[in-house]
Amino acid sequence: MLPRELKSTRPTRFLAVALGIAALTACQSFTGPLPPQPKSHQPASAPHSQTQAPSTAPVPQPVPLPPPERKAFRLSAASSALVSQAHTQAGGGNPAAAAATLERALRIEPSNPLLWIELGRLRLNEKNAAQADSMGRKALALATGDPNAQAAAWRLIAESLRARGRNDEAGAAQQKADALLAAPLADEEAAPVVPYTEEVLGVAI
Amino acid sequence: MARSGSRSNKKKRGSWRWLALILLAALTVAAVYLLYLDSEVTRQFEGRRWTLPARVYAAPQELYVGLPLPVAQIEEELRRLQYRSSDDPSHPGEYRRRGSSIAVTLRAARFADEERAALSLTLDADEQGITSMRGAQGQELPIARLEPLLIGSVFPIHGEDRIILTPADVPPLLPRALKAVEDRNFDTHHGVDFLAIARALWADVRAGGIAQGGSTLTQQLVKSYFLDSRQTLGRKLKEAVMAIALERRFSKADIMTAYLNEIFLGQDGSRAVHGFGLASQFYFGKPIGELDIAETALLVGLARGPSYYDPRHQPARALARRNLVLKEMVSQQVVSAEEARKAAARPLGVVTRASGSYYPAYLDFVRRALRRDYKDQDLTEAGLRIFTSLDPRAQQLAEKTLESELSRQDKTHKLKVGQQPLEGAVVVTAPQSGEVIAIVGGRRVDYSGFNRALDATRPMGSLVKPFIYLTALESGQFNASTIVQDEPVEIELSRRRVWRPENFTKQSNGPVPLVRALAESLNLATVHVGVQIGLPKVADTLQRFGLTRKPQEVPALLLGALDVTPLQAAQLYNSLANGGFRTPLRAVRAVLGADGKPLKAFPLEVTPVAPADAVYQLQRMMLQVMQHGTGRPAYSILPSNLTVAGKSGTSSDLRDSWFAGFSGNHVVVAWMGYDDNRSTGLTGSAGALPVWTRVMAGLGTTSWSAPVPEGVKEVSMEYASGLAAEPNCGQDVITVAVPASVQLPVKSGCGLDRVIERAGEWLRDIIH
Repeated sequence: MLPRELKSTRPTRFLAVALGIAALTACQSFTGPLPPQPKSHQPASAPHSQTQAPSTAPVPQPVPLPPPERKAFRLSAASSALVSQAHTQAGGGNPAAAAATLERALRIEPSNPLLWIELGRLRLNEKNAAQADSMGRKALALATGDPNAQAAAWRLIAESLRARGRNDEAGAAQQKADALLAAPLADEEAAPVVPYTEEVLGVAI
Repeated sequence: MARSGSRSNKKKRGSWRWLALILLAALTVAAVYLLYLDSEVTRQFEGRRWTLPARVYAAPQELYVGLPLPVAQIEEELRRLQYRSSDDPSHPGEYRRRGSSIAVTLRAARFADEERAALSLTLDADEQGITSMRGAQGQELPIARLEPLLIGSVFPIHGEDRIILTPADVPPLLPRALKAVEDRNFDTHHGVDFLAIARALWADVRAGGIAQGGSTLTQQLVKSYFLDSRQTLGRKLKEAVMAIALERRFSKADIMTAYLNEIFLGQDGSRAVHGFGLASQFYFGKPIGELDIAETALLVGLARGPSYYDPRHQPARALARRNLVLKEMVSQQVVSAEEARKAAARPLGVVTRASGSYYPAYLDFVRRALRRDYKDQDLTEAGLRIFTSLDPRAQQLAEKTLESELSRQDKTHKLKVGQQPLEGAVVVTAPQSGEVIAIVGGRRVDYSGFNRALDATRPMGSLVKPFIYLTALESGQFNASTIVQDEPVEIELSRRRVWRPENFTKQSNGPVPLVRALAESLNLATVHVGVQIGLPKVADTLQRFGLTRKPQEVPALLLGALDVTPLQAAQLYNSLANGGFRTPLRAVRAVLGADGKPLKAFPLEVTPVAPADAVYQLQRMMLQVMQHGTGRPAYSILPSNLTVAGKSGTSSDLRDSWFAGFSGNHVVVAWMGYDDNRSTGLTGSAGALPVWTRVMAGLGTTSWSAPVPEGVKEVSMEYASGLAAEPNCGQDVITVAVPASVQLPVKSGCGLDRVIERAGEWLRDIIH
């Protein structure tokens, strides 16, 4: 469970999805492989129903899923203090101590992608591009649902690839980052798109 | 006559001359000898470079708002570090608990990454954990840590161990108490106190034997230098001469400091406890600066005979000795009679050394990790400080759990005379960092013998299956709902040999979904799957996940014909728990030199070794092992809202009983078996699972959870049929993850109408 996340409900998309499903199922009622079933009166309040209901539909094309949970990862107060300390240590020419401090934060919040990105940036500064790449991928795996964090992870991956001369792959990764930040998230309730820049992440490049 | 007289005179004069010559020679020899003694003792004193064993520290306990540690456990952590309760906790090492609030002054400490001065803070905590934390000025404190617990030293066999004190470290009471008891005229004598000797002789004569020493502290120091306890007159004279020589050359303060660091004060197995610095830790578990009058008196009393007055084995003698010291302290006006009376009323206060407080199995792992970079001599002599990831709470939990589960098994398995008892091992790691936090190497945790966690290589049995199923998922040919055949199979090994694996129940189950084949550890289905995807691919998966050698690609590999140690199993499962990222297991965070300079760090490294979507699908299947399969009994103890994943393992003839699995932030591997490899009569579920479960339950761990990767969706399906069905429609409906493109066949009666109903509900929700 991720303690700090913001959810956006975005009713417009809900409506679109619901209408889409209604339309699809309407079509299906002519060609559906199953005989019509007596209607159940049980309330459909199963805990997993949100994600499962559409997927169980035996339709030839994927049913649009309800909007994915939108998250915005933040650092806890403890991690935040440690990240600041790590920046000071890195700035003072002590990357080993900075890494140790970031690992300390990771022990507290091992599933926070922002910390993995921090550590990856530090590795990149130390010219350890292979580990920076891996840290970026670890962050990416954890960042699902948070386009900002995902974009920051892709940027780290892109830079790590570029540092190793793999420019084509780097370009592709960079494009993924850009696409995530440019994604049409016009609805007002969505979390503001603040790209993670070096400034925000604070690690001097 | 005259001649004869003069002759005899001459003769006389000649013998005088001879005498003088002999005397001169004797004097010269004596002088040379004295010079020799002088240089010898000076060399010893000046050149005394104590060899310092490396010190090994556990992971420090972090304190921060949100730390899920209830207030009682926080207090327990303080007590483990020998913090004492005080109404005004303004000195380092003191705390005050009032209900759910703890005020504490943390000691100055050296950590792997920084040095910290003493720090006062107040924290509030409820049953869930810390809710607020403030510094001395009331400012919010985001994070602080307790000093790391010293868990052991790396010293040579029969080595001396000590913590060196500088004059600034020494509390003033200690030398005053020492002088009062051992050497009243220390400040004025020249190395030997003739009055004291006379007094001692008189006491000896009265007692009819040698009872009192009368040796000055300087003499005792000399004696300790040359490690000779023979009480001969010649020896005594030599000591006296050397003591005088020392006093001529060095200040009283230097001699006192040397004495405080040199003197032998106890024996801890093969480790000799020297000096008051280590003795304070050894007997009271805290720094010398925090000792009270009673504790100081006990240590001072020990100088005369550490084994005779051993407070752990001879508490009555030790108490009498301590109170005698207190009396002497009063008579020499070191403390007041009132202070001494109060001190004499106190118990000895010696900390019990809980069995296993040295965690030999864990230290063994630490030593092996360091052996690559350090010579033995570096570790035993150079005074290194080694910071590890050991979690003392998890370690003690794992030790106690294994011990009690083994004794429970003992009751049902009667041993024949001469048979070795059932053994076991436990490894606990933190998946995302790869840090090993606990290792138990056998039932006798205090015994540094055969370390089964590191050295018992045993067939892993069905622990191998998740890696086969992961390979199958990666191939794209299988998903959790794919029907596989649990039917008899024959594999021709050679022209004459045919392999016919069997299920544990000796029965086959026909067509079953993949998730059930894993959950119930069906051998026949697994062999079918493994043969289809191919042995080389399975072997490759194992190597990617951390197996350091190439497994033999024989069909029996599919049923776990692969020898691993519990630690290696933990490495493999750690990569699984970490979402397909391999992180080398490590126990050492950093090594510091004696001067506090960082020498070596072992930084966190991750390597992606499997696609996130396949690993996620497998993890979801492994949850079903716990819900419907061989791990199910775990939930008789685990709370039902704690989501964990795991897999049992049993080798042929029930020789090995395994269970391995993970929660959100812990990987636990448990093993049981006999050292001589005979059958245990235990499956993985019967032997290792109860250990695994109790360790998992006691760790205060978090539920497994992971974001659903792109390209994967979660679906509900019937456990037995693999057909899509909602919980209120099908039987025994479980959640599995499958590739987004996969459409499960739907259980009859669980189809479209349900979807229409759901869509209608959404519409209603939106409208309202």
